[in-house]
Amino acid sequence: MKAIILSAGEGAHLSPFSETRPISMIGVAGRTLLDNTFGLLKSAGINDIFVVAGHKREKLIEQLQQQDHNGLNLHHVEQKRKLGIGHAVLQVKNKILPGEFFLLAYGDILTADNIFSKIQQSFHSFKCPVASICLPPSNQMFGNVFLNARMEITKIVEKPKGNNLGNYVLSGVFILPASFFKLLESSGNSMEKALKKVVAGEGLRASMWEDEWLDVVYPWEILTANKMIMDSWKETSIAKDATLEANVTLQGIVRIEAGAIIKSGAVLEGPCCIGEKSYIGNNSLVRSYTSVGKNCSVGSGVELKNCVVMDNSQIGRLSFVGDSVLGENVDMGAGCMTVNRDIDWKPISVKNGKRPMATGMKKLGAFLGDGVVVGAGNTIQPGTIVAPGKVLPACYSVKHK
Amino acid sequence: MCGINGAVGLKNISELLFEGIRNLEYRGYDSCGVALMNKTRLILKKDVGGVEDVYRKHNVLQLQSNIGIAHTRWATHGKVTQNNTHPFASNDGNFAVVHNGIISNFRPLRDQLQKEGFKFSSETDTEVLAHLLEKFYKSSRDIEKAFVKVLNLIEGTYAIAFISSHLPGQIFCARRESPLMLGIGDEIKFVGSDFSAFIDHTKNAVILDDGEYAILSRDTYVVKNLLSREEITKPITKIEWDSETSRKGGYPHYMLKEIYEQPQTISNALDLEASGLDEIVELFAKSKNSYLLGVGTTFYVAKYAKYVFSQIAQEFYPSISSDEFRVLTNLNKQSLVFSASQSGETFDTLSALKYAKSKGARTAAVVNVMGSSIARLVDKVVLQGSGPEICVISTKAAVSQMVILTVLAMKLALKKKAITRKTYNQHMRALQELPEIIQGILNERSGFIHRLAHKYSGTRNWLYLGRGVYYPIALEAALKMKEVAYVHAEGMPGGFLKHGTLAMIDDDVSSIVFVPPPEDKSLYEATLHSIEEIRARSGFVLGIHFTEQGKNGALYSEELILPKVPPLTAPLIQLVIGQLFAYFTATSLKRNIDKPRSLAKSVTVA
Repeated sequence: MKAIILSAGEGAHLSPFSETRPISMIGVAGRTLLDNTFGLLKSAGINDIFVVAGHKREKLIEQLQQQDHNGLNLHHVEQKRKLGIGHAVLQVKNKILPGEFFLLAYGDILTADNIFSKIQQSFHSFKCPVASICLPPSNQMFGNVFLNARMEITKIVEKPKGNNLGNYVLSGVFILPASFFKLLESSGNSMEKALKKVVAGEGLRASMWEDEWLDVVYPWEILTANKMIMDSWKETSIAKDATLEANVTLQGIVRIEAGAIIKSGAVLEGPCCIGEKSYIGNNSLVRSYTSVGKNCSVGSGVELKNCVVMDNSQIGRLSFVGDSVLGENVDMGAGCMTVNRDIDWKPISVKNGKRPMATGMKKLGAFLGDGVVVGAGNTIQPGTIVAPGKVLPACYSVKHK
Repeated sequence: MCGINGAVGLKNISELLFEGIRNLEYRGYDSCGVALMNKTRLILKKDVGGVEDVYRKHNVLQLQSNIGIAHTRWATHGKVTQNNTHPFASNDGNFAVVHNGIISNFRPLRDQLQKEGFKFSSETDTEVLAHLLEKFYKSSRDIEKAFVKVLNLIEGTYAIAFISSHLPGQIFCARRESPLMLGIGDEIKFVGSDFSAFIDHTKNAVILDDGEYAILSRDTYVVKNLLSREEITKPITKIEWDSETSRKGGYPHYMLKEIYEQPQTISNALDLEASGLDEIVELFAKSKNSYLLGVGTTFYVAKYAKYVFSQIAQEFYPSISSDEFRVLTNLNKQSLVFSASQSGETFDTLSALKYAKSKGARTAAVVNVMGSSIARLVDKVVLQGSGPEICVISTKAAVSQMVILTVLAMKLALKKKAITRKTYNQHMRALQELPEIIQGILNERSGFIHRLAHKYSGTRNWLYLGRGVYYPIALEAALKMKEVAYVHAEGMPGGFLKHGTLAMIDDDVSSIVFVPPPEDKSLYEATLHSIEEIRARSGFVLGIHFTEQGKNGALYSEELILPKVPPLTAPLIQLVIGQLFAYFTATSLKRNIDKPRSLAKSVTVA
């Protein structure tokens, strides 16, 4: 079976990280969401994959072309205009033969266990179109799917009214026939309308997904995603050519990739991961749920906690980064601090653009876009978002005249 | 779009091939065929129609072969006719080929072959492959060389598999842009368009890439590069799959599937033949002393029935746990022992019924499994028709039995004029609305129940409280929690609180209260009183109720609000909530849902 992965959307809520990359290229637990999807597809026996690239597609296409994909046949299809999900799906129309069924998945969803195996098994027993459904942590932003005992979806309500509905929602993974493209075209490229036509026509069966599931919408959900993947790890792995100096302490499940250097006195509390060729300075404390990308440099005496640091970033000595996400090529000077709680422990709001958004989290640090430069000695307020490329000058308490 | 399947093994594979190709039928369904090997001779069977039809028509399953290839077709080139159906044989009958894809240069190839004297029997692009193989084999006497030559000659997309009487133990296959994978079992190898073709037999797959071909035999396989003809070491992909899951449909567990089947099984229960039920009502009416019997869940079914018979028919029948039956009863020829059992094999119930018979009592039962020991033993049996219940924990069977017993109580009440025809009809309407109400709850409340269960999955001690008929519901819901989540849950009458239980209330003991609808005034108020007693001691209360949100102020710590329903069916609806709450608690705690530790489906031992 062929798979179509939608990775064209803009993901405006995920700013500052979506401004410079497709959502599926966000890295958590040492790999991108897309890599996670590829890995699951492979173990589900699917190796012909078409990725629909739109927003910031250069970055995605470059990765698809560069990487060794472990036997997967990866192709990309471009969606050149921002005309929505239905239109994105239609870009793959000529790759699917008449009568063929294909797997369709949104690129911004994340599961630790294999949702693709599960839906294929359901398809295997139903032999008709299938939609994966799940119970999300809250129903606020999702629709509601109605079922009967035969697992036929009888109704899809996009925006349920009132607070009395709480149930299964579409989880963004489908197995659909080639005839779905026609339905899309006759529905003005609306995914919802086309799905409703499947429900009314051929019928759409549900495949219940009960394990964890996440739709990465807001920047702080990157941390949730990171935790979800790390919680699924079962064993420590340390690359053969990684360097661990004397007196390095490893606790719990730790992943250290090729060429990484961990200097003497560092403590790594798992689950955590250190990417290829990254450097962890002397006496650093890397606490649980920390993901350090490739080619990063963490100075001596730095404390990292529940944070995602993407590739090619640097954190200067004696800094603290906690409950925060740093994009690629971030340059944080020495002695910086991401303050991660309010003085009276109130839930942190994040201000991004117009209005503040409540996160419900009592501990939350900062979100620094790609290429942000933070001068030495800065103390960053909880819930701060810094746009890509922004330069924050150093903070000096003593200056020369 | 077509499906390919092939197998080579030690034993007869024609049945495996049949299952595999049937699993691929979704890929195409207008015609299908199979090629098998009788010693060293190829046999082809093919026809228009679905896999099952074609197999039956040609008696394919009676053929013996330890190698074969099969194909299910959805026509692209050529009409849907028997001649155009795969597999295709070469003119000399030594090669049989199946193909998925489109050979774009088949016309010039066909013209050339026809000039050389090859006869074509179909309009398809595939047939050229069979003849090309024959032609190249003649010159090289080497099948692999011939195959490589063919692959280098053809253009377009393909997944090909073929067998040959020259090498009767090998399958050759290759792909370009059409999916093909190998299934690697012990002493058996498969090739298929996707792993549905062989997943019931092996989970080890090797996924072929473009520009590769493979040769399979019973014990081994080799994958080679088409250009260099060098062997490639391919990783084995473990397919995370079990066919058990497939049988569950889209459900993660049988328990949830069976909970979801309840609207249907209740309808089935309400559609049972009236005459069968009337005969049992007759038995109840004639008997001087009747007993309701069950054990485990069915004991709570019996306990529920005790309340229903008492309330609707004004008859008091003791409910007794089957294992305690002998020591509690006083049986004679005027007695009736009515029992409930899902499997009809429950040891305790069976021996209690045998004992009753030995004392000359009449016996009757409601049973889900036709032809079971209890069904055969008793004088009158109601087969509840709930379909197989596979999860060890009973859900749909128990609720259906409760519905059937409610109907029996109503019929008895009508017979002895304890209720009017009008009341009877009202009750009947309430029962008939039940499937739809439960469906609505499954569709609109599962998410809330899931969230609550997840949030409180750390609770180690639950008190399940109910008054009146809600008491057996509390017992049964608590049993679900014990069975599936291994969490301590105690069903108790609300009135018990101040006679001892209240002393337990603290941070470590939480309560779930089954609140009746306000129409059931005295029961409702008494239940609220119980809740106040717990709340006064800062106990946690999850209220399952039918009133508006926040109507009772801060009475509940958490509440689960249900739509307004008739009092008759309210307890059954709350039981469904109890089932779901136990289920989601168990999934949060990652329990073995369908086969809980230490438990078995039908307890057939003492």
